[in-house]
Amino acid sequence: MVDGSPAEPSRLSKLWALFFATFSISMTANSGYAILAVMQDDFVSKRRWITEDEMADYLAIIQSSPGPMAVTSSMIVGYHVAGLAGSLAAVTGVILPPFLVMVAVTVFYQAIVGNPYVSLFLRGMQMGVVAMLFDVIIGLFRNATENSGLYPFIVMALAFLYVRFTGCSIVWLVLACACAGVVKALLIGRGEGR
Amino acid sequence: MAVVLQVFLAFVRIGGIVFGGAYAAIPIVEHEVVVAQGWMTYAEFMDLLALDEITPGPILINSATFVGMKVAGIPGAIAATLGCITVPCLAALCLLILFRKYKDAPLVQSIMLSLKCMAVALIASTMIKLGVAALMPDGTAFDLAYGVYVLAVVAAAFYLMHVKKLGPLPVMLGCGALNVLVGGFLS
Repeated sequence: MVDGSPAEPSRLSKLWALFFATFSISMTANSGYAILAVMQDDFVSKRRWITEDEMADYLAIIQSSPGPMAVTSSMIVGYHVAGLAGSLAAVTGVILPPFLVMVAVTVFYQAIVGNPYVSLFLRGMQMGVVAMLFDVIIGLFRNATENSGLYPFIVMALAFLYVRFTGCSIVWLVLACACAGVVKALLIGRGEGR
Repeated sequence: MAVVLQVFLAFVRIGGIVFGGAYAAIPIVEHEVVVAQGWMTYAEFMDLLALDEITPGPILINSATFVGMKVAGIPGAIAATLGCITVPCLAALCLLILFRKYKDAPLVQSIMLSLKCMAVALIASTMIKLGVAALMPDGTAFDLAYGVYVLAVVAAAFYLMHVKKLGPLPVMLGCGALNVLVGGFLS
């Protein structure tokens, strides 16, 4: 493997560094925004792999990609630091901890789920889940309806009706919402918006 | 092998349309895994969400691992996890290569606002289904006393998280412990 080229070891060490950085971030930080904050601190301030301005540019990409921000931000930072191999190292690092923990938890869950006390415990947690979702909805609702007029309410109502009363795929809803966003931006751009 | 591929493709579809934050994954996973594929019941899905809340990592990854394990063991878990990150990684890479800088920020913001509103509606719809499942566990008929008890626990848990700003982990464990005490006392 060692072919004596001077660039090779430094590149490989960068990949290891990326892997360990995202692995340890993923072990400690939980939510998407927390992971982004830790990454910013680690990659911008400490390691100087990426500048503040570049990170701000990337933020828009991270936020408009689907899926977990932890994964998309690792993808982008990894690519910035060491190309496609860097992306691979960073994404592997970020998904490995939750994957391993969840495999262990699932094995445990499947082994104990038949126990009557365990099922009582889970049923209790299910009530907590309903409350947690309600809390999440209120937070997102406030965030989405702030300073945006009537538009968010219309989208929410139509999306709710669609998912409650048609059995159709959510893909179409995503596309329709994206189109509505484009139309709204164009109308406002021409000064005809609400 | 066919099942593993099926799990992979299901999570490719899921990963491609999760917009609007970590919790937006919940209704999308529900739609594919409970409604379209029938791989789990609502009770199991709620167990999954409870486990999501008490383990680290993005909800989407945790859910993929759990569902994959249930449907096809460790290979299923690997397939589901890789599936759910496929489209997000490709999308991020394409956006990165196509536009290093976003020129049209208002357009992007407007699209993201629409998708965020959609996420609110989807999560609300899922919450209603899960609320019904919690009121009538395992398809039992509605019981007034049990219904009042469930609503009280949900209200108390909501109060602790929303007003007292308690994290989901202690609240989930507290709800579980309370239900064991109450259930053990009644039987």
